[in-house]
Amino acid sequence: MALGLAAFCVFALTLRLWHLQIIKGEFFRDRSENNRLRTVYVPPSRGLIVDRNGEVLVRNRPSLNVDLVIEDSPNPTDTITLLAEIVGQDPATLLEKLTRQGKRSKYEPKLILRDVSRDMIAKISAQRHRLPGVIISVVPARDYVNGELAAHLVGYIREISGDQLKNTSYAGYRMGDVVGQSGIEGRYERYLQGERGSQAVIVNASGNKIGAAYSHLALPGSDIVLTIDRKLQEIADRSLAGRKGAIVAMNPQTGEILAAAAAPRFSPGIFTSEMSKEVWTDLIEGKDHKLTNRVTQGAYPPGSVFKIFVAAAALAEGVVTPQEKFRCPGYMKMGGRRFHCHKHSGHGSVNLFEAIVQSCDVYFYTVGQRLGVDRIFRYAHDIFDFGEPTGLDVGDESSGLIPSTQWKARYFRNPEDKKWYPGETLPVSIGQGAVTTTPLQVARGISAIVNGGKVLKPRVVMKVVASDGRVLEQAPAGPEIIRSIDLDPTIFEALKKAMVGVVEHPRGTGHKAALPKVAMISVGGKTGTAQVASKESGVKDDDHAWFAGFAPAEDPKIVVAAILENGGHGGAAAAPVVQDLFAAYFGVPDEEPLPVDTKKNKNRRP
Amino acid sequence: MVARIRKGVLSNFDWVFLTFALLIPLCGLVVLFSAGYDAEGTVDLFGLLSVNFPSSACLKQATYILLGMVVMGIGMAISSQTLHRYAFGLYGVALVLLIAVAGFGVVVNGSRRWLSLGGINLQPAEFMKLGVIVTMARVLSRRPPKNGAAYALTELFVPALVIGIPMFLIARQPDLGTALSLGIVGITQILFVGVRPKALLSVVASVLILAYPAWEMLHDYQQRRILVLLDPESDPRGSGYHITQSKIAVGSGELFGKGYRQGTQTQLEFLPEHTTDFVFSVLAEEWGFVGCVTLLGLFFGLFASMLRIAGRARDMFACLVAFGITAQVFAHVVINIGMVIGLLPVVGIPLPLVSYGGSSMLSIMFGLGIVQGIGMRRLQFRAG
Repeated sequence: MALGLAAFCVFALTLRLWHLQIIKGEFFRDRSENNRLRTVYVPPSRGLIVDRNGEVLVRNRPSLNVDLVIEDSPNPTDTITLLAEIVGQDPATLLEKLTRQGKRSKYEPKLILRDVSRDMIAKISAQRHRLPGVIISVVPARDYVNGELAAHLVGYIREISGDQLKNTSYAGYRMGDVVGQSGIEGRYERYLQGERGSQAVIVNASGNKIGAAYSHLALPGSDIVLTIDRKLQEIADRSLAGRKGAIVAMNPQTGEILAAAAAPRFSPGIFTSEMSKEVWTDLIEGKDHKLTNRVTQGAYPPGSVFKIFVAAAALAEGVVTPQEKFRCPGYMKMGGRRFHCHKHSGHGSVNLFEAIVQSCDVYFYTVGQRLGVDRIFRYAHDIFDFGEPTGLDVGDESSGLIPSTQWKARYFRNPEDKKWYPGETLPVSIGQGAVTTTPLQVARGISAIVNGGKVLKPRVVMKVVASDGRVLEQAPAGPEIIRSIDLDPTIFEALKKAMVGVVEHPRGTGHKAALPKVAMISVGGKTGTAQVASKESGVKDDDHAWFAGFAPAEDPKIVVAAILENGGHGGAAAAPVVQDLFAAYFGVPDEEPLPVDTKKNKNRRP
Repeated sequence: MVARIRKGVLSNFDWVFLTFALLIPLCGLVVLFSAGYDAEGTVDLFGLLSVNFPSSACLKQATYILLGMVVMGIGMAISSQTLHRYAFGLYGVALVLLIAVAGFGVVVNGSRRWLSLGGINLQPAEFMKLGVIVTMARVLSRRPPKNGAAYALTELFVPALVIGIPMFLIARQPDLGTALSLGIVGITQILFVGVRPKALLSVVASVLILAYPAWEMLHDYQQRRILVLLDPESDPRGSGYHITQSKIAVGSGELFGKGYRQGTQTQLEFLPEHTTDFVFSVLAEEWGFVGCVTLLGLFFGLFASMLRIAGRARDMFACLVAFGITAQVFAHVVINIGMVIGLLPVVGIPLPLVSYGGSSMLSIMFGLGIVQGIGMRRLQFRAG
């Protein structure tokens, strides 16, 4: 019996050993490997962002982080509290950072403070003996060589958020990694990021290094070559200083974006180091909407710029001939209501050319009436692609809106409101009412007019070059044509001629876009002065100033669309901005355009 | 006191038993060589000479084994009559020493286990192990169950005291492992003779009832160790560390082990106490399931041959002594292995014949010698 008991006990032990060693053996083998190896990750250096000429826009610089190794810190909470005191931060915030990274091995340094100044490092080092486990590590951080230059386009990077980590598109990322959040940094994150390196060392139970197990070098991220021209971008950015608005310059033949500026801006550099709550709140919730890239995300009524596309529709549909004249008494009566022209005294008798040059509203009221809103919609939306995102690879876009009877029926609930009234067509004809467009859409639309009817996909990335020099992605040599508009070429010629008239004709509204005569480069364009529906009732905001132009008129190389929010008259405020860009692009010496004696157009009244 | 061993007795020498009793410590040496490996180690042998040898534990253990064989011979020479005669005396002296420990014992690692007598450190509990076995054997063989083959509850009062008093003293030191093994051995001896089912039931019931106050009496660290056994992951850095690391070592050995001296848990010192209490984990890590089963097989062979000797003993007393020693070694093996593979709480009991340590080796070898002696004297009984 005793032997039987002994046999039973030995059998029980054997059974348990079988369970541990055979059934769960692999699990424990892993655990023993984890014990033995300490892996230290080496962050890769992020790819550069350079302009079309190879000028660096964003690079990396060494930065100092403060980390904590839990294993070496007998009391992490005390250490962090003291550290917080030294750097003058809230201990709770720092502790929260620590717990967020809690799942890691206790040997792996945990990030406490990012991109700390050298002065602060000196202060921390002086107290080192009281901060067991605190280490300073050198890691690459973003260096924005040109400060805020093209901030929206470039985008910013920031520590990966908890929500992003859960997202499958961020598979492989770890808490504390820095990822692109917007713009090129966001869209090309996978290229820019590179691959994390790792070093595994064998340690004993007391954490002493015994030897090296393996190491993988970090692989630097790939560089992004933009179609942007830094000099042009700089001028665009400068033109918007202290203003709200957007400027976009595009090659009308290829769709390449040469400059894309939006204001107010943010400084991408502030995201690399610790950011105060106030700064963050201002960025996210502030009324300036600093993070909004107004080039693609700003939907504005295009005002008179839209007349070009209404004119194209009218000529194509044959509702009007270029020679046909209408009389403008300064207003148009419709349904017992007066629709004013911006020139209250009237333009007299005008044909298409004169109507565009002088931006006569009554002419376009008439033409719009003849077309009807749905034909305007068909040309603006279906042919010139307004009301749809352009597909530029820099982040979410606003699609803007081109109204139609269908849209109205869909959009409103009340059966009364669903009906389209003829009076509503008139504002649409002059780019008001419900019409909104983004500056990029306007630049693309004007490009389609001046390049003979090719609607292009705008692009901002020329190529992606890996760290070893291999070209990973290359934009096609020619333009990416979304649609070739099948219209009589004379229509485009007539519109171009009229737009040159806007700048060069004595009565034109856009003189200020003209380059000095010596340059021998003729400029075309269209002004727009868009009424702003005041948000707070009773207060009327200033009009948005638009100008969309191209040059040289004979063979356009560049199209620029600019909007200045509440900037006043397009010809007065926006045209000079566009002129600056043309001057820079063609290397025309900075010189005032010849004064042209014209009556200054007054702002329209409500 | 020491009886002469007659020539006829030598013919009863149990070679199989001796083979098991020596194979196991030899296996232990192999494991200890790895567990205590230190490439630049020099071994200081009892202050006598210094030797360049890469494993101090292994070399010292080898000398303990040699000493142990001498002690085993002494054990063989002691006849059961002598043990019978001095049983109460041994028990009495051990008890006095235990009380002395409670009074003037030296505190090591928070427990008062040692008595310092002019440079020699004694652990009276070690004496008490043998003391309880022989005293119980004498008490039980003198007073066999009155009616039939099984004890009634009332007859167990004296044996209970014999076990209970030293258990209480040792548990207070505190040395839970030894106290428990003392209790297990005594109770096994009683069960060996036989207990009425009713009496057994009431004992079990009262143990269960007494479990709560006993639990309350345990030190915090003892309670924690038992709790940690139930959920080792709850405290991986504190009390659970030993069990967790040991289980990793054992489990990661898989079928054939990581190879001799290739156990990372052992060599990088993640495994605590790897030459003493957790030496079995070293075997498990480096030799795998196969090595573990082999050692368990050797132990089983050892017990089987010891039980055979007990079964053939000349009288009830000798039989109970042999059985008691077997039970003691067996209990230690099961508790130790059970502990390192996470089946039982960590109580600090070494693995007999394998764990590094002179006291343990010598006392167990002595016990095995006594068992051998009982086996050798079996025919005297038949002839007489």
